[in-house]
Amino acid sequence: MKESRRDFLCRSAAALSMTALATQSGYFNGMSVLAQRSVKQPKSDAVPADYRAMVCIFLFGGNDGNNLIVPNHSDANVSNYAAYSAARATQGLALPQASLLPISVPRIGGLTYGLHPSLGTVTGGINPGIHPLWASGKMAALTNVGTLVRPMTRAEYQNGSVPRPRQLFSHSDQSNQQMNANAGEVTMSGWGGRMSDKMSASNNPGRLVPTVNSIAGERIFTIGEQLLPLAIGPAPTPLSSILALTGTTGSAAANARYAALNGGFGLSAANELETASNAIHREALAIAGSLNNSTDVTVAFPNTGIGNQLKQIARLIKNRTALNMNRQIFFCTLDGFDTHSAQLTAQTGLFTQLSQACRAFYDEMTTQSLGGQVTQFTLSDFGRTFNPAGSGVNVGSDHAWANHSLVIGDSVIGGDFYGMNTTNGTPFPTLVQNGPDDADMGGTARGRWIPTTGVEQYAATLAKWFGLEQADMGYVFPNLGNFAQTDLGFMLP
Amino acid sequence: MKRLISAAFLSLALIASAAAQDDPNPNSPTPVLLSAAETGRVLAVEPGDFNGRLPKAAKTVFSAGRDSEAVLFMRRLPLIDGEGANAFRVYVKQPNGRTFELRSDEILPTGRDIIALRICICDVAGYRGQPGDTGDSWIYVTWRGMASNPLKIALGSQGGKIGPPPEFAAAVPAAPEFVGYRWSGDRTRFLEQATFGPSAAMDDRIRRIGLRTWLAEQFEAPYPYIPLPDPPQMPTTPPTDCQAGTNPTCFRERYSMVPLQQWFFREAFYGNAQLRHRTAWALSQILVTSGTTTQQSSHAIAYHKILNDGAFGNYRYLLGDVTLSPTMGNYLDMVRSTKTNPNENYPREILQLFSIGLFELNQDGTHRLDGQGRSIPTFDQTIINDLSRIFTGWTYCNTQACGNATPGIVNYKDPMVLIPANHDLGAKTLLSYPGAQVTSIAACTNCTTDAAITAYANASLKDALNNIFGHPNVGPFIGKLLIQHLVTSDPSPAYVGRVASAFNNNGSGVRGDMKAVIRAILLDPEARGDVKTAPRYGKLREPVQIVTNLGRLFPAKAYNGIDPSDGGVSSYVAAMGQNPFYSPTVFNYFMPDHTIAGTTINAPEFELLNSGTAVKRTNFLYVLGFEGLTPNATDALRGTSLDYSEMIPIAQGDPTAAQLVDALNTKMMHGTLAPAHRSLILTAVQAVPASDPTLRVKTAVYLIAASSQYQVQK
Repeated sequence: MKESRRDFLCRSAAALSMTALATQSGYFNGMSVLAQRSVKQPKSDAVPADYRAMVCIFLFGGNDGNNLIVPNHSDANVSNYAAYSAARATQGLALPQASLLPISVPRIGGLTYGLHPSLGTVTGGINPGIHPLWASGKMAALTNVGTLVRPMTRAEYQNGSVPRPRQLFSHSDQSNQQMNANAGEVTMSGWGGRMSDKMSASNNPGRLVPTVNSIAGERIFTIGEQLLPLAIGPAPTPLSSILALTGTTGSAAANARYAALNGGFGLSAANELETASNAIHREALAIAGSLNNSTDVTVAFPNTGIGNQLKQIARLIKNRTALNMNRQIFFCTLDGFDTHSAQLTAQTGLFTQLSQACRAFYDEMTTQSLGGQVTQFTLSDFGRTFNPAGSGVNVGSDHAWANHSLVIGDSVIGGDFYGMNTTNGTPFPTLVQNGPDDADMGGTARGRWIPTTGVEQYAATLAKWFGLEQADMGYVFPNLGNFAQTDLGFMLP
Repeated sequence: MKRLISAAFLSLALIASAAAQDDPNPNSPTPVLLSAAETGRVLAVEPGDFNGRLPKAAKTVFSAGRDSEAVLFMRRLPLIDGEGANAFRVYVKQPNGRTFELRSDEILPTGRDIIALRICICDVAGYRGQPGDTGDSWIYVTWRGMASNPLKIALGSQGGKIGPPPEFAAAVPAAPEFVGYRWSGDRTRFLEQATFGPSAAMDDRIRRIGLRTWLAEQFEAPYPYIPLPDPPQMPTTPPTDCQAGTNPTCFRERYSMVPLQQWFFREAFYGNAQLRHRTAWALSQILVTSGTTTQQSSHAIAYHKILNDGAFGNYRYLLGDVTLSPTMGNYLDMVRSTKTNPNENYPREILQLFSIGLFELNQDGTHRLDGQGRSIPTFDQTIINDLSRIFTGWTYCNTQACGNATPGIVNYKDPMVLIPANHDLGAKTLLSYPGAQVTSIAACTNCTTDAAITAYANASLKDALNNIFGHPNVGPFIGKLLIQHLVTSDPSPAYVGRVASAFNNNGSGVRGDMKAVIRAILLDPEARGDVKTAPRYGKLREPVQIVTNLGRLFPAKAYNGIDPSDGGVSSYVAAMGQNPFYSPTVFNYFMPDHTIAGTTINAPEFELLNSGTAVKRTNFLYVLGFEGLTPNATDALRGTSLDYSEMIPIAQGDPTAAQLVDALNTKMMHGTLAPAHRSLILTAVQAVPASDPTLRVKTAVYLIAASSQYQVQK
């Protein structure tokens, strides 16, 4: 009884949504997934046979990559542990060498680097973390990557001869540029959304939800020039009730109330804010029915913010067939990385959450036999100063620029560093303040590494694996032509 | 056209019968865009063809582009000082459904009965795409929140699939009243902007004394009505008898924001000094600290007290008090900044978020541009480095010199004090701008004693804050943020300019007078009027405002319907994306420049609205409106429900329910409920048996509150 009523309501919501959209010439005309489906005929030859998904994990606040990956060797030809320790130990920001989780880096002659200790087995953990995925070749690191309009040397940065990204070191601007992959401009769309613009009609012709799903709001990464994401809340709320209305069943009065509510969202409005609000409500009610009968995941996820977001994503993936999805882009976030102080404690907690959640997600994908079809990757606002801020238990670091990112999945050619070489001939920066990779100059230079790899090179490599056509690369990554290498080689074909 | 004329006539009639009030008729006339004779096309010419007079014939086809200009004509309007081209927004709606705001450049001298406006047929922002030569498009103008008639303009060519003209809400004033401040629509709108929601008592008060006097009364009103909680400061490590596991009540009261949240909602529901409460809440979203970092309720309350006290003071003092607040010091790390390790967090955010922003502004809030048309950054890393060094050495006052210091407990109640040995003594450079009084601080030459260093550090702090406060950006930057929090998301530059002008000079030569700023914001002609018709006017209600507005319209009670609410609604508000006093970052719950996804509409609060939270809003309204918030949730001790007793008699004995819906239309929507929506709601209410008037009221209130028409405050 209850189920059939809900089915009925969802059908009527969908029908209403279509009618309302058909009678309006507002912005949303081309944007509803349902309206799209009704007008775009699939090119049957273009629909992929396999399934692939990209999962963006945005580490808000600016993660200190200098403590994510640390030299764990004594080779003096490249920055070694002693160089790291010399700069960070006095103020208490250096991780003890014995605590580092060793990783071997073939790209740098097999030298050993170390991951932050929280990325492995931890007290109270529910899985071994992500560190073991390095040795098994399922996790890679992108080193010294960041926002760039085009590559620049230290001299070019200083003399201003090459355009810099807008508003370096500002959270809002830099996180937006990570997500819009267009560091020279303010834009209103991001690279996840623009990929969906180009790929939705051909890859997901029968989709019941948008190609981009966010568990963390409509951030710029998720917004296209034409298409919008679905944004819903995290687990533990089950998918079947994440968009379900309260109090819409039972009596004739409840039926009438629902009809008026839904009808109100379908009216055309003179005010454009109302029009926008109506469209969001309509979309929610229309999609609710598609999430009705979803099945749950089997692997245990940590009960944390990021754990519950990735769990919700894993559920959506598990229900991909019912939702008619062949290509999906997901967005979730972990906040709290703006560690101007008390960084050791904060980062330990955050990395523990990240590692436990990413590992659970990886294992769940393996269980779903999708290990090679789903790739997780991290972005963050920016890196942080190599030179610590403060000292003792309060020690932290300030806003900087280039950073390290992690990519996880069975299609990742893991166990190595990727990205363009820095001045030292390796992809890892020279850890010297006022050194060859520092944007700062002089005696007060604090070690803000100039990126050698642009976000778009990193992103384009993922996009190519995901199936974005070469012809559409320029639409999604407008500055990609400024970079010589557009496939960094960390993904299997 | 007929309705435009009747609206103009009505407002004239209202002027003629104005009572002896300080407040003038709040309604601005509707702008009328002139058309080429009888064609429905806009009368427009190229600037080169304009000779100072109304042209006899229009140019028929324009092209879109950054170097394409046009002159439009409007009927004369009662422009006030400072209302130039920046008082007008020009929009073009293209056949593909996209709307662009065109650049409004200059009012050209012309005869007295018309206004000639030179525009560029290009998007004002530059990054939102540009209109194209797609044939006929609709063009219209807005002024003070009022939309003109839409007319056709040919871009590239005439014809094409233009679609129906955009419809704007008819500007019909509410039923006239004959005593006092009679504009009932404007009274309701004013109370939505200046308070946490209209109440019958305040509406009555304003009707009797008018807006200006009400503001004066509010500036002096005793505050708070509900005493601020005063929990003791606790050790950083919770003692065994106050831990989450052993004594969750103690832990919640001392080590969470819950006491502040509950007080906040109770004061919003029941307090009289609404303007101060509302302003302090807006300030708490600009000068952000957060329970994500702030450990104890006592720390957050000490900080909120600074905002309460400073809400009607001078922004310079507020900035000073915030800078030396230990809660802010801890949140943005100034408390740990020393000369050997200056911390950049507070210096960056005081500039980027609390005072001047990232780009140089004109007084009307638009970006100043360099010779190549680019925005000009207000500061670079050098300024951050030097400001960091100025802010070194300040920390908690844990000595007996401070009254609230207790041994073994970190003191967040007294302002931070200087540790002389930690203060940087070198020379520093400050912001440089026209009119800057002090642009550098010399190295200290006599800092051989603690007293000398302390004097130097205090003088440096004063110079630096004066230097920041004196920057021409502060008025438009802070003024626009406050407008966005109180009135409308995308104010016209002219409105921002008027508020900035009040910031720059309160009329007595004082800069930064918050009373003058608030008065300017709330009495501005763009804020005032019974109805606003501009399609981008207004703001999405943030979750906090949804709860408080309903709790004041239908007086909030406890779950039992008898006692007062304890204000424990935060967990519900948090589910809609806004956990009060737990902003996710220093960037607040939403960004002031947020643009609604897929559109060019600037609307900050929309950052909180997506499919997931939209359903949460609707479901919250169901639970609050029909059932009440139950007492057993963790922070809802007595629960909260709405009292409909004023409405129930109206619902009784009227099977059509028209009286009820019309009364709610007046109360909740100041008469602007769309007729089609009204009939939908009537049908639903009529489906409830007339014998159950309470359920009828709940149904009607829920349907109005859940509608986008209500959710967008305008």
